[in-house]
Amino acid sequence: MTTAKKILANGVSEQEAIQRAQQGDAESFEALYGLHKRRVYSLCLRMTGNTAEAEDLTQEAFLQLYRKIATFRGESAFSTWLHRLAVNVVLMHLRKKGLPEVSLEESMEPQQEDGPRKDVGTRDNVLAGSIDRVNLERAVESLPPGYRIIFVLHDVEGYEHNEIAEMMGCSIGNSKSQLHKARMKLRDLLKQSKAEKAANRR
Amino acid sequence: MTCAEFQKILPDIIDGGGTEEAQKHLQSCKVCSDLVADLRYIAECAKLLVPMHDPSPKVWNNIERQLDNEGLAKPARRNM
Repeated sequence: MTTAKKILANGVSEQEAIQRAQQGDAESFEALYGLHKRRVYSLCLRMTGNTAEAEDLTQEAFLQLYRKIATFRGESAFSTWLHRLAVNVVLMHLRKKGLPEVSLEESMEPQQEDGPRKDVGTRDNVLAGSIDRVNLERAVESLPPGYRIIFVLHDVEGYEHNEIAEMMGCSIGNSKSQLHKARMKLRDLLKQSKAEKAANRR
Repeated sequence: MTCAEFQKILPDIIDGGGTEEAQKHLQSCKVCSDLVADLRYIAECAKLLVPMHDPSPKVWNNIERQLDNEGLAKPARRNM
């Protein structure tokens, strides 16, 4: 049994593990890592598309967590606090790489400005029932980083806009707007993929 | 309400809320209702993307070594 499961199986709650980690207890550090590594790594991997970079960022996020853990007062959920750290680590990394689309203040892509969507609502034009994990993963990978991170935090991870706004240092309105753009872009990508599949079947 | 007006406020209302006017437009406009159905379906499908992979063991090894270097925690004792 791993240290992580054992420490929790013995009736030690996550809260107690946090308190022990704040006192420098090494087993508690490892237990917390075990609990949260998958989600943090998954976020880093979705944002970098590269396992080596994702592992480096995961490592950095947890090191920052442990250095700051004494300051955690429980105002937010521990996982939210950790995710905030991880998001900052990811954003810093992407900015260092000079990726321009990370900024949440980026203006919309021109084609999305051109009036309301006028897709003809035929039965074949709706997506319902056509999305699987593989094509959704591919579509998410194609999103600009700024859209991708909001989509992952809100729709995949389940964070609310007020939490995302705090993590990203933006307004709630901005978070909603970026999420909308992300979903619209995914819709375009998924429709394209659907049309290509249909064409290949003929 | 026009489609343009509806789609402009859509980011704020798609996850709930919206005026009676917006609801009426949604009920009467196939284009906008198909759009909303697609966007909600995409949001729902996001749950397919449940994290499935762990980082390799070396990540924890590196963290543990660094914690020791910085004097933040003593290395965990391994079960014999």
